[in-house]
Amino acid sequence: MVEGLLQPLNIFLLGLGGGFLIPLLHRLSKRLPATAFWVSLAGMTLVSGVCLWRLLGGADAFEIRTAGTAPPLAISLRLGLAEGFFAFCVNLAALLGAWQLWPRLRDSYTFLLLFLILVMGINGMIMTRDLFNLFVFLEIVSIGTYGLFGLGQTPAAVAGAFKYIMATVLASSFFLLGAALLYHVTGTLSIDEMVMRRDLIAGPVGLTALVLVLSCLIVELKPFPANGWGLDVYETAPAGVAALVSVGVSAGVFFALFKLMPLFAAHLTLIAFSAAVTFLLSNLVGLRQTNVQRMLGCSSIAQMALLVLALALLLRQGADDALALVVGGLFFSHLFAKAGLFWLAGAVRRERIRDWNVLAAGPSFLLVFCCLLVAIAGLPPFPGFWAKWELVLRLAREGGYAWIAVVLMGSLLEAAYLFRWFGRAIKAGRRDTGGPLSHGRLFPAAACVALLVMGGGVAASAAGITSLWVYTPLAAGGLLVAAEGLPGRAKCGLMLLAVAVLGVWMAQGTGGINGLFATLLLSGGLVIAAAGLYRRDARPGYYPLMAVLLLSIVALLRASTSLEFFFAWELVTLASFFMLALAPAARGVVLQYLLFSLASAFVLLVGLAVAASATGTTSLSSFLAAGPVAAPAFVLIALGCMVKIGVIGVHVWLPAAYARADDDFSAMLSAVVGKVAVFGLFMAAYLATRAEAGLELARIVGWIGMLTTVVAALLALQQADMKRMLAYSSLSQTGYIVTAVALISHLGWVTALYLVANHLMVKGILFLAAAAVIERTGLRRLEACGGLARRMPLTFSVAVIALVSMSGLPPLAGFGGKWLLLSAMMERGWYGPLALGILATLVGLLYMVRFGHAVFLGPLKPERGAVREAPAALLVPQFVLVAGILLLSFFTKLFMDPVSAAIDPQFASTLVWQGMSLELIYAYWNPARAMAGAVGLALVGAVVLWLSYRIGRRPSQSGGLARFFRYYRPLLAPVLASHAERFWDAVSVVFGAAAGAARRVYGGNGQTYAIQVLAYVLVLYFFVVAYPLLQSR
Amino acid sequence: MGLPISHLLLVTGLVLMLIGMWGVLVHRNILRIIIGFSLFGTGTHIVIVATGYVTGGTAPIIDAALPAGAAGARAVDPIPSALVVTAIVIGFSVTAVMLSYAIRLYAARKTLSIDAFTEQKW
Repeated sequence: MVEGLLQPLNIFLLGLGGGFLIPLLHRLSKRLPATAFWVSLAGMTLVSGVCLWRLLGGADAFEIRTAGTAPPLAISLRLGLAEGFFAFCVNLAALLGAWQLWPRLRDSYTFLLLFLILVMGINGMIMTRDLFNLFVFLEIVSIGTYGLFGLGQTPAAVAGAFKYIMATVLASSFFLLGAALLYHVTGTLSIDEMVMRRDLIAGPVGLTALVLVLSCLIVELKPFPANGWGLDVYETAPAGVAALVSVGVSAGVFFALFKLMPLFAAHLTLIAFSAAVTFLLSNLVGLRQTNVQRMLGCSSIAQMALLVLALALLLRQGADDALALVVGGLFFSHLFAKAGLFWLAGAVRRERIRDWNVLAAGPSFLLVFCCLLVAIAGLPPFPGFWAKWELVLRLAREGGYAWIAVVLMGSLLEAAYLFRWFGRAIKAGRRDTGGPLSHGRLFPAAACVALLVMGGGVAASAAGITSLWVYTPLAAGGLLVAAEGLPGRAKCGLMLLAVAVLGVWMAQGTGGINGLFATLLLSGGLVIAAAGLYRRDARPGYYPLMAVLLLSIVALLRASTSLEFFFAWELVTLASFFMLALAPAARGVVLQYLLFSLASAFVLLVGLAVAASATGTTSLSSFLAAGPVAAPAFVLIALGCMVKIGVIGVHVWLPAAYARADDDFSAMLSAVVGKVAVFGLFMAAYLATRAEAGLELARIVGWIGMLTTVVAALLALQQADMKRMLAYSSLSQTGYIVTAVALISHLGWVTALYLVANHLMVKGILFLAAAAVIERTGLRRLEACGGLARRMPLTFSVAVIALVSMSGLPPLAGFGGKWLLLSAMMERGWYGPLALGILATLVGLLYMVRFGHAVFLGPLKPERGAVREAPAALLVPQFVLVAGILLLSFFTKLFMDPVSAAIDPQFASTLVWQGMSLELIYAYWNPARAMAGAVGLALVGAVVLWLSYRIGRRPSQSGGLARFFRYYRPLLAPVLASHAERFWDAVSVVFGAAAGAARRVYGGNGQTYAIQVLAYVLVLYFFVVAYPLLQSR
Repeated sequence: MGLPISHLLLVTGLVLMLIGMWGVLVHRNILRIIIGFSLFGTGTHIVIVATGYVTGGTAPIIDAALPAGAAGARAVDPIPSALVVTAIVIGFSVTAVMLSYAIRLYAARKTLSIDAFTEQKW
């Protein structure tokens, strides 16, 4: 009995029966239609869900033969795994969508009826195995859609609907003709039989029929440029209806295309090409949208194109086994994330992006909004992330780099406009969004997030995540979100506890360089995070994100496969992005931060994919065994990491982010988060050691590192803002590390790790000192401070220790590292970088003197007389870091022995290192000589500068260090002009202009859109029928 | 001998389709556009029926005059006709929906020119 009720055929009985009953019930009572509607819709969802469950349990696909006859004489329906998955997802989304749309839907029973029929039609499109029946269901869906557009009352909505009708009626007429002609040449309408007889589909009639069917399905998925009609309804239809069209109708059409793919086997490249164009250009056009729903429409069209692209490419390379994860994951992600965003847009009821202000809508709204954006952008932990990973891996295996470029470029554009929306939405706007949203209104979108999280888990295991520990950061973050009600300091304490316990647990068993980085970054991270105790306010969201950030870093270091590594890498990116966005001052620069981070991640992804295809596995340990084939992987991974490090040219995001983040978070970004990319560079260097070409490329990296050091030092010298100055100084110091890694020698790597440790502590101290100064005086400009040494003696002394250590003067830790590096460069014959290193030493000395002098020395401004010493919460972490510096300086062996042991196994015998102990190295290289040389030259330079200043200044002016620096400002003007920033501004202008040009095709006239549809069909016809004919001539 | 009737039908259907397409793409008046769609649909229907024609064939009704064994060779293929019947019903309802939208468009702008409905663009 129950068995019989839960048959797939009952989906249609419920849909049609409910549809017919509703008008009758309306005569009896005004309430009955609603009951019938919900019972039918829930029944359809239940039936499809139970059927899917049975199929997952291993049941055979449900084959339904109508009229008791076998196909092709009668229509047959099938519900296999793929059908069940699509149908259940669509029904679930429809159920949630009906909840969202209910206030409008209940106005008239007609809409209830149409909604049911529409959902039933989508199920039909998914399940039918008969070509003509597919047409009928397509028309049922279309008519249901046309009817639901009637919910939109505005003239624009009516006009949009009419344009949509024109285009889709044209498309479905082509489908009808194509289906009839296919019947004519194959003698059957059953899709299965037709596939078996596809050899018959040849000649002008057969191919024309094929083109007509194919072009209808592609046009229904709204290909660029024949998709203006789609964008218009996405913009003007009520959000709930737009969501249903975007995810439901598109899902039905996509599945129809999927079903018919065997017929189009010869044209997969054409289909992929058309989808690639749509994916890229829709995302490009999205950049210029100001209307939320229209922008979501662009994203929706792009996502469907990505699905088609992935389907066509995977089928083309015969990777059918990847379809479930890639297509299923992308579909699931699009379905629930896009629907959820449309529903949020409907709930907020602000058409323009600039009118959005989600801060007023309550924390739960913000959480749901962020999760959906992350999901749609294909970032972890949601299904789209795993699907894109698998897709890129598969494409790399077959050498499809152009396709990978398309996928990643489009994804980057999409992230750009979606997160620009986020950036606008979190700015305190002029208008608020009408107070917190009620939980009822938020429910459908929140349910989407829950479903996406579950789907993400399933997709992750399908992608090859076998261990649960990778979720530790997210789990910890989730638990801390539950404790958000506590006072700020309690939350900070809890976070530190969680990170300490879980971090130590996760770091267990990591060895070698990973273990070293894990120890260093975890302990450094904890010490700097503890500085958060100086803030008394609640800082909503800050501490959970901090836990995610720090634990993700540990996860990244523990990763044993490149998938785990990349997952953790993206989590670090996301956590730091959202933490940056928490600072009101930083909201203008978060987008830049995210885009550079994502670009770096995407380049890294390709590199990992290349490495995986070269070694045949995603295991990171196999990277060491990769041969010269891994050279491109080295280039890409190194490139990705250098973007994330912010080497000169792509550094523009870094100073802005570091300078505007919360003061204690700046310390974290510079000292800890920046090191993650350095670790990535180490990983790339493993690859380089195995390839001859790699060593040559490493030389280029070495140059880039030293250039970064010098230019960033020059930029640091002329900053007025103390945090900006520290940011550039941080970049400058990281340049040394890059060069040291690029030396690919034992000495280079010992130096690199030494510099990493030193820089972590030094920058931690200096940024926290800046935080203390800002906390006590409210001043950020160097010139406004002065004389604070007397008021803040402890802060002054730790800052001096840090500055000495950074400058590399004996006896502190920096001594050794930098000079060893210079010696090593000399040894390798890198004279160019060596000269840059000496120049950097001079500039470094100058800006460090300037920082110390401007903030702490000189006369104290009278109004600062009452300034107190920094709070203990800031001083204690600084003391701990100073202790670290002293330890590193005077008990070098403590650090060097594990470092040496960690590096040794990484090296082949061909490299410089031959097992010398560190003392021997020190004795052999003796840093004092190099230092004497470099510092001597630097001092000579400084003296020359001072003399030329004394001679050149006007006699009336008195001397002084501040004036000395001001005197040299004009000299630095060419650097100040910042070509990099202008270049990136130009890039953004070019993309904006391209988007503006691309969207000119959407003239708004329904007739033009019809012509575009026709032209699209003709172009496809040309490529499928006419072009091969011409070629064969 | 003359042309077989199916060719005449095919030509008629294709010409109707072209006229319909012309109407859709050239006329500015929404009602004319809808008529264009109807013509286009009718043309499609005629073409489909024509594809099922068997020269010299008879109606596909199996009785004394047409034994079941001979149906395959002598009868006109009934399936395209059956498809067209369904398509006509669908075409009818689509036309009805379009006309109702035409009424609402006219109510909104007091004009039936399609050029008046272009405010959504780019």
